[in-house]
Amino acid sequence: MKFKDYYQILGVEPDAEKKDIKMAYRRAARKYHPDVNPEQDAEEKFKEVAEAYEVLKDPGRRAEYDELRQYGGSSGAGFEPPPGWQSTSGTNSFSDQEFSDFFNSIFGQRHSEFQQTHGDGNFGLRGRDLEIEMPIFLEDTLIEESKTIAYQIPVHENGQVSLIEKNLRVKIPKGVADGERIRIRGQGSPGQGSGANGDLYLHIRLVPHPLFDVHGHNLILTVPIAPWEAALGARVTIPALNGKISLTVAPNANAGQKLRIKGKGLPTKTGHGDLYAILKIVMPATADEEAAKLWQQLADKVKFDPRSEWSTQQ
Amino acid sequence: MIEILLKVSVKELCQIESINEQIIIEAVDHGIAKPHGGRSVTEWVFDTNSVHWLKKAIRLHQDLEIEWIAVAMLIDLLQQKESLEREKQSIQQQLERFLQQNER
Repeated sequence: MKFKDYYQILGVEPDAEKKDIKMAYRRAARKYHPDVNPEQDAEEKFKEVAEAYEVLKDPGRRAEYDELRQYGGSSGAGFEPPPGWQSTSGTNSFSDQEFSDFFNSIFGQRHSEFQQTHGDGNFGLRGRDLEIEMPIFLEDTLIEESKTIAYQIPVHENGQVSLIEKNLRVKIPKGVADGERIRIRGQGSPGQGSGANGDLYLHIRLVPHPLFDVHGHNLILTVPIAPWEAALGARVTIPALNGKISLTVAPNANAGQKLRIKGKGLPTKTGHGDLYAILKIVMPATADEEAAKLWQQLADKVKFDPRSEWSTQQ
Repeated sequence: MIEILLKVSVKELCQIESINEQIIIEAVDHGIAKPHGGRSVTEWVFDTNSVHWLKKAIRLHQDLEIEWIAVAMLIDLLQQKESLEREKQSIQQQLERFLQQNER
């Protein structure tokens, strides 16, 4: 086992005062806390500084650590606590953290009040909750779907992390929304001793659809129309999530105009969202001579200046 | 087939996070999560998304040793950030659909 230099981890001198240690911890914790830093190695770094702080903030533990640091910290060789070593600084006042083997070898394994399994006298540590992203196709939210999920559970044992592969068949309820979380009891990290397993949380993420955008339970579809359809009005067939819908475009329609088709959005727990069709006017890729002539006639006959607002401002 | 749940009770949350009810009351008082269920704390239940934020808040409060009021502000900002990121992504995608084909 390698000796951990807690002073170096926190970036303080061995004779640092308590308030400097606290300041160094807070600075590092703010930087590496996994709830504010999404980087992958942030959690490991945070654990390291939290462990260092757990020892150095407590005068009794710090004194014991300093003693061991004199004894074996500078040798560079593998570290083992002296024979017969036993910590006297107590093992019941630690925060709810997982500590390294180095820490445990000095201060012993600790169990917090709530993690103990009462009654039979056996110790039990509840396994950690696990959260995984669960990609769902829009079409799959229409009905209750059974899905097989494959995931890995990291298990810490003797300072090593191994992965357990798991497969679960889960019914995803109809009408789940993007960002929702589903809890599955007891399918997270296994508990230790007589401790219960942690839970598994599935974080629902809707897979981007080639046609539809999602806003809450409403669907948004961009509908391309020809300029003459915009001018004269039209009936166009548009796709819905399950089937097709006939949409009436009123004459003089504009690009960006939003048409609401009630109840054709995503299902909710109690009903359905709406489908919004947003019109987009598309020009033909090429215009032949005849078409150009017709456009010219239109340009000559219709008095329309789409930039009239600009000219009044100047 | 496995049973799925969309709620977590106060008792369960206390066991999961190894905390006492007082911490949850404190977080609720600061508006970090809104409980459902009854009036008394023991009857409270939280939806799974509230639990996600509650756990985050409790960790931040304990690990960074910061006041609840600061935790509440931080959670509020993190939630705003997450929702803005999602909105930005969705608007960007919509805009791309609208501009596609017109850019020839």
